[in-house]
Amino acid sequence: MKKLAIIIVLTSLFTLAFEYSAQAQCKQQFVYTCARKGGNAIYLKDFNTKLKNDTKTADNGTRWTTVLNEGIRYRFILCIPEAEDNDIIMTLYDSQHPEKTKPWNSTEGGKEMFDFICRRSGMYYISIRYTDDSKKRKTCAVGIQAFVGKNQ
Amino acid sequence: MNLRLIYILILALAIITSCKPDEGKIDGPDTTTTQPKDNIDVTAINRIIESFSSPIEMAASIKDMNAPYSKKNLVNSDSVSNFDSNFKKALGLGMLSADLGYLNVYNRTNEIVEYLTVIKRLSDDLDIDQYFDFQTLKRLATNNDNLDSLMFLSVNSYHNMDKHLRETRRSDMSALMVTGVWLEGLYLACKINALAPSEELKNRIGQQRAILSDLVLVLKFFEKSPHFKQLIKEFEILQEYYEGVTITVEIGESKGYYDEDSVWIVDAGEKTIVNITDEQLQDISNQIIKIRNKLISL
Repeated sequence: MKKLAIIIVLTSLFTLAFEYSAQAQCKQQFVYTCARKGGNAIYLKDFNTKLKNDTKTADNGTRWTTVLNEGIRYRFILCIPEAEDNDIIMTLYDSQHPEKTKPWNSTEGGKEMFDFICRRSGMYYISIRYTDDSKKRKTCAVGIQAFVGKNQ
Repeated sequence: MNLRLIYILILALAIITSCKPDEGKIDGPDTTTTQPKDNIDVTAINRIIESFSSPIEMAASIKDMNAPYSKKNLVNSDSVSNFDSNFKKALGLGMLSADLGYLNVYNRTNEIVEYLTVIKRLSDDLDIDQYFDFQTLKRLATNNDNLDSLMFLSVNSYHNMDKHLRETRRSDMSALMVTGVWLEGLYLACKINALAPSEELKNRIGQQRAILSDLVLVLKFFEKSPHFKQLIKEFEILQEYYEGVTITVEIGESKGYYDEDSVWIVDAGEKTIVNITDEQLQDISNQIIKIRNKLISL
């Protein structure tokens, strides 16, 4: 009984510890490297997520809200460790322009980053999702929102 | 003996489960002394809090307008001794983080160390110092050789502290941090606009009307606390001054193109028209300055 209990405790520890690390968000160094890809753009915030490989659920990504200010040019950068065939995209949208319509911009088509010239201050959404539910894999992904400057 | 082992097993599993991250999905109520209103979901409140601007954004905009650097507009680092409750410390942490953002964009490394020290003190008191790598930040500022890293780590630390508060059911503290950032950013904009008025800053201040509504919504979630109630009163007066400001958005066609560096750019195509009179701007500025100065002199 004693041995059995010890085995159960150890197995649980290893299983849960592995699950924790396997589903972890991207590390700070990776976020920093991603932010540096924006060149002179100033890092404002990041959207860091862990994506699962569960093809049975409809959960295919993560969504965040972010406030953007009119007259500012923002840069959005997507970074994924071991990127595969553009299977993950980042999209910027708002309540007037739903995500599915690919309103303004996304990293679709292999783009690593895009700039957005904001013309209306308010709440926007950022999503990071798989493009194809059948190709889900376990990975982390990070999106960066950076400040380029006022629009010329 | 067997019973003891079973207890150990249950305890170990409980510890492991409690240490798992909750993936940002917080469904239960906050368990701090501040009791939230029952009819609003804390998840929705956390969504609004996370959306607020970075502590460096207003400073970056101000620098981009070629406004000269001025330390006298920042919170005096000695004021930190006035922040004698968690309520004031969280607000102060937000305000000082916005000031740190300002110092970062102007590359004022000597002052940065001073502000890092007081931020470290507040983060210790709020028990979020594990997300503020003071030693690395201080080394980067002192060496003055990697300002990009310093700026990144400063902003990233702020977001990690803020996120940790929300994930550990201290959304009230997180709400105060973003309030401090917003207030200090707007205070700086008002001060600079008073010295060198510009249409750009005037519009920027006017457009905060919508953000203010969201902020008041968040603060009202915690209004059972007397401290929050008092702060909400001050912000409601500010809202009254904003009532006359009108913002019109004309719908337009968005367009995309590549710039000279082959970066894909999308111009949203809309046009925002802000109607704010000089008198309204003065009233708004005065109220912002009043709220901010009252908070740091408590």
